[in-house]
Amino acid sequence: MLSASSVEIRKVNKFYGPFHALKDVDLSVRPGEVTCLIGPSGSGKSTLLRCINFLEEYDSGEITVDGQLIGYLTPGGRKMPGRKLREMRRSIGMVFQQFNLWPHMTALQNVAEGLIRVRGLPKAEAEARAAEALNKVGLADKMANHPSRLSGGQQQRVAIARAIAMEPRLMLFDEPTSALDPELVGEVLAVMKTLASEGMTMVVVTHEMGFAAHVADRVAFMEKGELVGVDAPDRILHRPADPRIQAFLRTYHERNSF
Amino acid sequence: MDPSIFLQYWPLLLRGFGLTILCWALGTVLGMALGLLIALARRYGPRPLGWLIQVYIEVIRGTPFLVQLFVLYYGGPLLGLRLDALPAGVLGLTVYGSPYFAEIFRSGFNAVPVGQLEAARAIGMPEPAIVRRILLPVGLVSALPALVNFSIILTKETVILSIITVPEIMYSVQRMSTETFRYLEANLVLALFFWGLVESISRFGRSLEARITQHLIERT
Amino acid sequence: MFSISTFVDSFGPLLWAARFTLLISVLGIALGLVIGALICAAALSPVAGLRRFAALWVSFLRGVPLLVQLLLVYYLLPVIGINVPAMVAAVVTVGICASAYISEIWRGAIMALPRGQSEAAVAIGMGPGDIWSRIILPQAVTLSLPALVNELILLVKASSLVSVVGILEVTRASQAQAATTFRPLEVYLAAACIYLLINLCLAALGRLLEHRMSV
Repeated sequence: MLSASSVEIRKVNKFYGPFHALKDVDLSVRPGEVTCLIGPSGSGKSTLLRCINFLEEYDSGEITVDGQLIGYLTPGGRKMPGRKLREMRRSIGMVFQQFNLWPHMTALQNVAEGLIRVRGLPKAEAEARAAEALNKVGLADKMANHPSRLSGGQQQRVAIARAIAMEPRLMLFDEPTSALDPELVGEVLAVMKTLASEGMTMVVVTHEMGFAAHVADRVAFMEKGELVGVDAPDRILHRPADPRIQAFLRTYHERNSF
Repeated sequence: MDPSIFLQYWPLLLRGFGLTILCWALGTVLGMALGLLIALARRYGPRPLGWLIQVYIEVIRGTPFLVQLFVLYYGGPLLGLRLDALPAGVLGLTVYGSPYFAEIFRSGFNAVPVGQLEAARAIGMPEPAIVRRILLPVGLVSALPALVNFSIILTKETVILSIITVPEIMYSVQRMSTETFRYLEANLVLALFFWGLVESISRFGRSLEARITQHLIERT
Repeated sequence: MFSISTFVDSFGPLLWAARFTLLISVLGIALGLVIGALICAAALSPVAGLRRFAALWVSFLRGVPLLVQLLLVYYLLPVIGINVPAMVAAVVTVGICASAYISEIWRGAIMALPRGQSEAAVAIGMGPGDIWSRIILPQAVTLSLPALVNELILLVKASSLVSVVGILEVTRASQAQAATTFRPLEVYLAAACIYLLINLCLAALGRLLEHRMSV
């Protein structure tokens, strides 16, 4: 596995007009570490995640990947030119809640597209590597299928293959299983677990507390734009100090235990 | 460019405009009424009637409005239908618009959540009452934007009536230009007139739509 | 009573004239597609002036009835010294009018694509050129095909209006036929049949395309 990235988030703020979406957020992610972001809807978890690869623009503070500032040339300065931003994004993989596969291409073409267009590989080599990535997520037999012929879980695994084929050093997951039928969640989490065990730096926004408890190195809780606490899963999920985390977990347990 | 001709001919032009509005209003209202009847007949009538209606819709939508007018106005007498230009024009607009309105109503009815109709049937409401109290009100509201849109399209179609000598605005403008020889200016002003008319009706329609949906949201 | 023989006999000359109807419609839509693409690009451009221009273009051409546009061009061209055959002027007018509708069809198709698709491309580091040519346009074009077929049907019907500026096509031919046979009903019904035939074929094509696309 290539060296994994580190992520530093320092005093990041973001506004949507008058709405303060991210309030002075600080978070460190070490290489190879799996960090899960949990919290109620609207807490800013996805917004923060999307700021890491600058799909959303943060308004103040710094986000650095491997020590390199992303989005801006200097802290608080001019925005980074498109080319530089694209270069940084090549080593960051993102998996979306809605999969976002391209429907007019087969699974293989979806995975190979980035290798051809962004990394400039010749088609044959790109497709070979794409096939490898699809094999890794267990979908070697579905390479020629269009997304419409794949289940939700399969589509998400193709999306993961598409991201890992680019050989990223950091993977961002935005609620990867929230749009899936319950019985399909497991296959996606299994792939994510494998990636984690191979030492990939991962930041995962999720409601899957089981995954957070067993796979994450650290769990961060966010509410109303604030990072309330970040600690080992055991502490955050079982012995949270902050009453806000306790309240969130209580409603979660009420809804989910039977 | 001599704008004074418009002042000179203003009675003619005003009458023409009045007729445009009259034809459009009558054609739209009657066309909508016929379209609604067709849509209801299709939904609740026997199967063969549905096929007939489908043929009617395909034929009217598949042929040019101008040819339909020719059939009605020039061909009508051979069928015993001797109409003056104006009634022929209004009839033409009505017939031309009816299939489009029928399809709009059909979409509107289909947009009514089946659950709402099922709930009414479950409490034993008779079918005609369901139509009156649930299908029509809810269906009409979702059909409203499309109804308004097509009515605006009909305003443009009224100029075709001039070809069968209905003295609406275009006919009047052509008459003015043959008498003054100012063909270009007359048609340019006519173009600008329609542009302004259609643009303002569209804007008005959009703001009306926004206000109605706002009102509905507040009520529910 | 209704003269079947006149009805049937009309088909000969009218079908001959139908070639002009088809010519006008096909050339018109071809022109409309090209200009429509340019206007659509302007409408989606980051340059506010281009957007404004596109908006005015669409607003004017959709607000003014085609008949008025045809007459306007008919009287305008001699005045500004352009001397082209009436057919050329008519095709250009029809094409320009269609471009406004086509531009909106394409704009709608492009905006109908889920944002996530371009986001996924952006997240991999794809450049805007590739995102447009590989992700957005292929899908937008396919998505717009049924609407474009519908537009062609509208053009076939609209072509009947060029009869007013003296161009020979089905409607003009039927007027001439009606004048010589004194049986307008049969002749105009025959004309209607021809338009219907053309449009039913186009409609079937449209449904075929829609079916292919949803698979």
